[in-house]
Amino acid sequence: MAGLGRAALLLTFGLVAYALVAGSLAAWRRRRRLALSAQNAILASFATTLVASGVLVVALARRDLSFVYVAQHTSRSLPLGYALSAFWGGQEGSLLLWLLVLTGYSSLAVWLNRRSGELLAWTVPVLGGVAIFFALMLCFVSSPFATAPAPADGAGMVPSLQNPYMLAHPPMLYLGYVGLTIPFAFAMGALLSKRTDERWIVLTRRWTLAAWTFLGVGQLLGAHWAYVEIGWGGYYAWDPVENAALMPWLAATAFLHSVMIQEKRGMLKVWNMALVALAFGLSIFGTFLTRSGVVNSIHSFSQSPLGGWFLGFIVVIAIFSVGLIYLRLPLLRARTKLESLVSREATFLYNNLLLVALALTILWGVVYPLLTQAVNGETRSVSKPYYDFFLHTFGLPLLLLMGIGPLVAWRRASLRALGRTFVVPAVAAVATGVALIATGFGSSTPGLLAYTFSAFVAASIVLEFVRGRRATGSLLRLVARNRRRYGGYVVHAAVLSLAIGVAGSSAYQTVREQALRPGQSMEAAGYTFTYGALSTRQLQNSQETSATVLVSRGRSHVTTLHPGKSFYPVEQSLSNDVSIYHDPRSLGDVYTIADGISKNGTLQLKVLVKPLVNLVWLAGLIFVVGSVVALWPDAVEQRRLDERYAAVPV
Amino acid sequence: MKRSPARLVIALSVAAALAVFILYTSIAGAGTPQIEPSTLAQHAGQDVQLVGTVVSKPAGDAHSAAGMRFTLKDDHGTKAARVPVVYTGSVPDLFRQGRQVVVEGTLRDGTFVAKPGSLITKCPSKYSPAKSNT
Amino acid sequence: MTTLALALGAALALAAVLAVARPFLREPAPASDALAEPTELERRRLTLAEERDRALAALKELEFDHRTGKVSDEDYRRLVGPLRRSAADALRALEPRAEARHVHAARPG
Repeated sequence: MAGLGRAALLLTFGLVAYALVAGSLAAWRRRRRLALSAQNAILASFATTLVASGVLVVALARRDLSFVYVAQHTSRSLPLGYALSAFWGGQEGSLLLWLLVLTGYSSLAVWLNRRSGELLAWTVPVLGGVAIFFALMLCFVSSPFATAPAPADGAGMVPSLQNPYMLAHPPMLYLGYVGLTIPFAFAMGALLSKRTDERWIVLTRRWTLAAWTFLGVGQLLGAHWAYVEIGWGGYYAWDPVENAALMPWLAATAFLHSVMIQEKRGMLKVWNMALVALAFGLSIFGTFLTRSGVVNSIHSFSQSPLGGWFLGFIVVIAIFSVGLIYLRLPLLRARTKLESLVSREATFLYNNLLLVALALTILWGVVYPLLTQAVNGETRSVSKPYYDFFLHTFGLPLLLLMGIGPLVAWRRASLRALGRTFVVPAVAAVATGVALIATGFGSSTPGLLAYTFSAFVAASIVLEFVRGRRATGSLLRLVARNRRRYGGYVVHAAVLSLAIGVAGSSAYQTVREQALRPGQSMEAAGYTFTYGALSTRQLQNSQETSATVLVSRGRSHVTTLHPGKSFYPVEQSLSNDVSIYHDPRSLGDVYTIADGISKNGTLQLKVLVKPLVNLVWLAGLIFVVGSVVALWPDAVEQRRLDERYAAVPV
Repeated sequence: MKRSPARLVIALSVAAALAVFILYTSIAGAGTPQIEPSTLAQHAGQDVQLVGTVVSKPAGDAHSAAGMRFTLKDDHGTKAARVPVVYTGSVPDLFRQGRQVVVEGTLRDGTFVAKPGSLITKCPSKYSPAKSNT
Repeated sequence: MTTLALALGAALALAAVLAVARPFLREPAPASDALAEPTELERRRLTLAEERDRALAALKELEFDHRTGKVSDEDYRRLVGPLRRSAADALRALEPRAEARHVHAARPG
């Protein structure tokens, strides 16, 4: 069956190559049937990639160890769910997943816009051009269908990957990363076809929002995974692989906002083209970082030959996008200008500048080791203090802007009107700040600022809903008639929840560590932790040792936690089992780690009390709700758009 | 305004961001060097990040005063250099003989004294082209 | 490779070729093989339609902001005039015959 997989991938390669070459020819020479043929090639490439994926899935499910990939990433005793998730657990399989999502998205985009017009005619070769790289890698450099004599058993899966997150986090991320290809392809298609209208933005608005949401939720899943499974007590370590997903997400956030300005005012056309290319480029760069091992990361280190190929691809993308934008600069001249530095357009511009600045400083931090190695011969790296500094410098003003933006009118806001709308949120912020300082939260300046700004934003969002409801009569009608705006406000509320959660759990957390004998206790942030006894139990593929820790507050018993460690015999490795109590009082967590369990029963207990951390995960849910509202089809708007574009084919 | 202030705003913001950046790096320093055991001797007494593979079976308890002791060699190549490390603090689960680690600290009198809690062990390669296990 | 795999592979290849060849098989000798592209007139209409929609949307948003109290009465009065004018201009550019009606509506009252 591996042969079928190889054949299917070769077919995919041929089809996307055809889409690239024939599609370009069709668009250039204006041949309708050839353009349709190229479209069909994209659709067919999804089918062939699906077949290849099916072959791999079946091989994984059957634990067919003659597949080298299956032997490397699964074992006979591995539960089925995890064996299937090994699809994306390794280099070759995850490349196949990328291609599957890419051809799937491309097919959907082509199918939804399939009338044979020139915008699609130029978009198809761009889609083919991106897919051809991945197909090339899968066919000739890094194939999941290599076979060898089957070993007795497979190498198994690293224990830290054996959890439900392995099923959700990578696919979610890929749905996000790859999703950024569609707006990029349509944008480049618009430039190639010399179109000056906003059709490509209208077509890709939902794609961008959906990809952005998937990428954001995917990252939160990853953070939660690290939090509960890896168990060092945190959820983000500024590791290059984590940054790899954050950077395109920040660029996509900027793009989501600035594209609104182009829609409403016809401005920032060049900026948007550059931004969508940046977001896409960063998504490819992100997967390059994760795979190539070129930067020292806790997640990967091997020097893979793929790195060079990816770098080459990124260079091609960069030259292509920059060159094309430069060539079409005359077409992108805007007719309207920014009228005032105090206007909603201006706040969106500031938001964009801050987001891009943050993304670029993170990028600098990630490539710094590579640059210093190349220039000095000595590798230097930056760490948490660097990232924290810029997160505060750029992130805190961004937070505040999130509250200011909705209050400012388009075009030109009078300062007097601004003063009036600002009053309530400003008062809320100041009152919160004073109350916080009085109750001891002044210990962390960034934390204090984050909370104060959050109060401003919260008040501003609540006011928007209150005012809107008053004007329309019902909340439901308000949201239904203004889906994008109020969906956006809900998403802002999600960001707010995230900001508060991050601030609380980092600026105001308590960490204590102590060696305890049975019966002994330790204190942290008003809680008492008493070590009871050790217990062991056998699971399907591991042996678990855990310590009973009684948690009390004052005299009353709060909960019993069981931090411990698990040993996996097949993989010969140990994994941390943290035990967490979700405290309804502080919306935070009491987090316990069994840092060490010695033979004589001494427990090295590490305790972290993290206030408000559950707001971080709540933010993920609110994100989804807000995005669904903003994405929801609007019949009225759709009719208007159809009428506008009726005369002009795609 | 006759000319769009947008360009001015963008230019000023870029300048401001660069200024903040340069100010930060000049005060906070330009990162920590990542050194391999074979070149560590040249950086004696400096705060560095030591990158290497664990060669010996680790001995001792990282949570005791004496700390845990292990030896590192270069990740790649066959250089003979071996550096003894003494470490206190949390030990990641993945840590054991044969794994690649990064630990921050200073070389003092021939022994690398690690900063407590700075030990990071890299995930065994799931993306590597090699076929061997562990 | 097993016979089944070979057969499936061949079928897949055939399907792929057919999919790609389909437009040529369906229309071996079409009247026109030219890709539909907008004429100069249509492009201009499209740009104008976008401008019209932009102006109308801006007006609608201003009304909404005014109704919810975010834009004060005097700011509203200051902003609505130019917006109505640009909306009228955009409409007029698209449909000269409807001009008379819309110009009347745009007059500040």
